[in-house]
Amino acid sequence: MTNMRKTRFWVQAAIIAAVYAVLTVAFAPISYGPIQVRISEALTILPFFTPAAVPGLFVGCLTSNLLSPYGALDIVCGSLASLLAAGGSYALRGAPALVPLPPVAANALIIGAMLRFAYGVEPSFWICALWVGAGEVAACYVLGYPLMLYMRRHKDIFRLD
Amino acid sequence: MIRDITLGQYYPGDSWAHRLDPRVKIAVTFVYILALFLIRDFGGHAVAAAALGVAVAVSRVPPKFILRGLKAVFIIILFTFTLNMLMTKGEPLIKAGFIVVTKEGLYNAVFMGLRLVLLIVGSSLLTLTTKPVRLTDGIESLLKPFRRFGVPAHELAMMMTIALRFIPTLLEETDKIMKAQMARGADFESGSILRRAKNMTPLLVPLFIGAFRIAQDLAMAMEARCYRGGEGRTSLHELRLRKQDAAAIFLTAVFLSFILLERWLSPLWFDI
Repeated sequence: MTNMRKTRFWVQAAIIAAVYAVLTVAFAPISYGPIQVRISEALTILPFFTPAAVPGLFVGCLTSNLLSPYGALDIVCGSLASLLAAGGSYALRGAPALVPLPPVAANALIIGAMLRFAYGVEPSFWICALWVGAGEVAACYVLGYPLMLYMRRHKDIFRLD
Repeated sequence: MIRDITLGQYYPGDSWAHRLDPRVKIAVTFVYILALFLIRDFGGHAVAAAALGVAVAVSRVPPKFILRGLKAVFIIILFTFTLNMLMTKGEPLIKAGFIVVTKEGLYNAVFMGLRLVLLIVGSSLLTLTTKPVRLTDGIESLLKPFRRFGVPAHELAMMMTIALRFIPTLLEETDKIMKAQMARGADFESGSILRRAKNMTPLLVPLFIGAFRIAQDLAMAMEARCYRGGEGRTSLHELRLRKQDAAAIFLTAVFLSFILLERWLSPLWFDI
């Protein structure tokens, strides 16, 4: 990567992180907690357009969780889930309908496990995973997927050169 | 309306806890979380609560402020408490129709509820006493050893700094777009969660396009100033460990020994 491209890549990633954090904070009451619909999770479709979204979504989640009332554990688990999900979405960019799937799966499993095993939310891990997963489906498929189809018309804004 | 949101939960101050090196604070927080998971009974919780009490007192963050933070997570605490109480099988204590509260259920509920409160207050003390930018410096420094494994420590920290810098700008932008779209009849505040999520598209698209324009301008400005990445860069605020940091590390080690000792001495064994 040339130096110019590199700078653009990281700045684009940083701005994606900022947009993610803004949307999480702006809709805070429904963004945190066991029954959450993070509007910002709709951005998980961005790896379809640019690889800069992989670190961008990771840092976005990290930054917004720094502001979360749930503390350090959420910072680690949430960000890790985002990184895995974004990597998965980037890998699946060849099949647009599957792009929102990795965030649903990663968040349901990792955040579900965090709620069950660290916060002790009963009755079972699968119920916790289902809850988080349902919120993610709403954000990623109901909002994210149509957004992805729409943003295809504006693909040029993601160019790095 | 969005502009009223307070960003983060940093409580400005100049206490001993505020002045600690962010790397030490991150490490101490993780040791504290780890210790909470090693605890098996209420004796351990008492030690953890006492340590947290001292930390809160030292940080000079008003308990009222901390309790206000707990209010945000009250639902999850209540949720955990109730479900633990009703779902654990064991010796019945109270029976009212199909609702059975067992002895073990009550124990579990109080135990997990306490752990949750200690976990949330303990870890939020990190963000209450550390500015996000200092936390970013700390994370960069802690990630440095992982650079040899390909972790872009400097770039990640730079991204966090840019993101934190642009959050207020983009919040203002979001507010403007929302008002503009509402004036055109968009509805962001009513309907079911699904409907509300769907209604966000007219907000997200212009927000994106605006944000990417900012990214282009910023990248060009950085290139014009010959930005070349992390190699050889110096920092305005160098992190340096001081005596107070050594004291904090020592006290954390003492705390962890107490927890381990209590766990070893504890005659009770509740596998939770």
